[in-house]
Amino acid sequence: MEQIKNDIVDYLKANSFMDNNSSLKDNDSLTQNGIIDSIGLLELMDYICEKYSIEIPEDMLTPENFDSLQGITNMITKLAK
Amino acid sequence: MRIDAYITEYAKKTPQSISLEEGKSSISYSCLDDDINAIASSLMDFNHCRFAILAESGMLYVKVLMAVYRSANIAIPLPIEFPKFSIEKILNAAHVNNIIATDTQYSKFGEDFFERFGTVIIISSSDFGKILHKKIETEKNNPELRLVLYTSGTTGTPKGVMLSDRNLAANAESIIKVLRITSRDKGALVISPHHAFGNSIINSHLVAGGSVRIGNMNFIDSAFNLIGSDVSIFYGVPSTYRILLRYPDRFKKAFSSVRTAASAGGGMDQAIVKDIRGLVPSLEILPMYGQTEATARLAYLPAEDVDEFVDTIGKAISGVILDVFDSEYKPAKPNITGELVATGDNIMLGYLDDEIATEKKIINGWLYTGDLAQKLPNGYIRLLGRKDDLIKIGDHRVNPREIERSIEENNEVSKVFVVPVHHELMGTAISLMVMPATGTEIEKLFAFCRKSLPGYLCPREILFIDHLPLSENGKISNRSIIEEYQHVKASM
Repeated sequence: MEQIKNDIVDYLKANSFMDNNSSLKDNDSLTQNGIIDSIGLLELMDYICEKYSIEIPEDMLTPENFDSLQGITNMITKLAK
Repeated sequence: MRIDAYITEYAKKTPQSISLEEGKSSISYSCLDDDINAIASSLMDFNHCRFAILAESGMLYVKVLMAVYRSANIAIPLPIEFPKFSIEKILNAAHVNNIIATDTQYSKFGEDFFERFGTVIIISSSDFGKILHKKIETEKNNPELRLVLYTSGTTGTPKGVMLSDRNLAANAESIIKVLRITSRDKGALVISPHHAFGNSIINSHLVAGGSVRIGNMNFIDSAFNLIGSDVSIFYGVPSTYRILLRYPDRFKKAFSSVRTAASAGGGMDQAIVKDIRGLVPSLEILPMYGQTEATARLAYLPAEDVDEFVDTIGKAISGVILDVFDSEYKPAKPNITGELVATGDNIMLGYLDDEIATEKKIINGWLYTGDLAQKLPNGYIRLLGRKDDLIKIGDHRVNPREIERSIEENNEVSKVFVVPVHHELMGTAISLMVMPATGTEIEKLFAFCRKSLPGYLCPREILFIDHLPLSENGKISNRSIIEEYQHVKASM
């Protein structure tokens, strides 16, 4: 779990969505905090699919699964099983 | 007539009709009118003063905007999706003493941020006006000024476009005609309402007595649900359509009940049109063109001509005259490149507190759009890039868009972008960023350039990229291309 979370944070930082020194709480909204927009989310999805060799069904593209670190981590854990 | 006055009129004529929808809630014209009055009541003792609005997209934003109109003050919506320093840059340029913020934005931006304002009013869906500070100052503003929309501008300095009631109403009426909007239509607003395009969606549907469904594009699932909820007109920038088209099955299903897919904010390309046609043949595609300086819209491409003329902006909307002027401010003949100019009731009053920029932009009543254009023999207009996109390469003035087009048309590539780069002898040379297609070969591209372009245009290097170099507001310009190039180089 922690590993996945760190990977996502590293990705967000590397792709300049996020300042290097800003901290993000697990349940903070990525969209409302301006960390990511619609195009950024698509790129993040591509990254996740490739990195974890998973496919994300379209009905899972919801705020619950994508708008926070915790949501994304839970979703990956569920799909990677 | 002021835009909010149309709402009052419909509140009397069709009080129960739905005006706005968001998520699971909706509001009738009569309730919307009451809420606007409630918010406006705390603004009534200000006399034509500037009010910044810091609010996320939603019903509350529309209510606040209309309340500023109703109290006869001036609205300055802030683009909340921009980073904080950009917003501060806008605030410094706007000389604004008063702000209305939603409780969400207030906690996001923090108490300190609001110290610079004399008046701070916090709004939430349950409380229409908690006044934190109040200090009424006398302001001297253009008497017709009602709304200021900020454009980041290709140079990066924010410019405040001043619009009047007449501008807003005139452009709304023109858009209603082009899209045949009636009180039965429901428009989808998924783009930012703080800019010209989003603002025009709200205005035109409310002036027509119809409704607007407000959402966003953040989550594909909710975006498709919104489109499928009896929306009759969907509005998007080209990238909105590119995103949605990544899910062809959902696209087909959601758009099957939509009448018109309208676009603005950038040119629709052949690929998008082809994909939409393949999925939903009955859907009317209506590309539009405009500028904030023209309130929103200037031209549209009639739906029946989309397949043949998608590389043009079509013709002027009603109430607007478009022409192409040469460097002597005279109309250019067809197929001769000049600058696109426009006149009509939708042309802005000028730039806020910037008479010099205004004088350069509006000359003898004509708005100089800064877009290079040609008139086609049938009267349609083709754009050829921004005037200020012209770059000097080895002391020759060149249009990078023309070079890109010539390479794209003669080679196996998907997209080509010209990047001006420093050159020891010429001052500036070019590099190419290329989105490859199957069969793209760097050697062949070099060979073509060497053979077909003047020596000074032979690229120093050719880099492959896998996505469009879009700016933060989804547009391609020299600036966004250069930024992408720097990004690519830095990661090499």
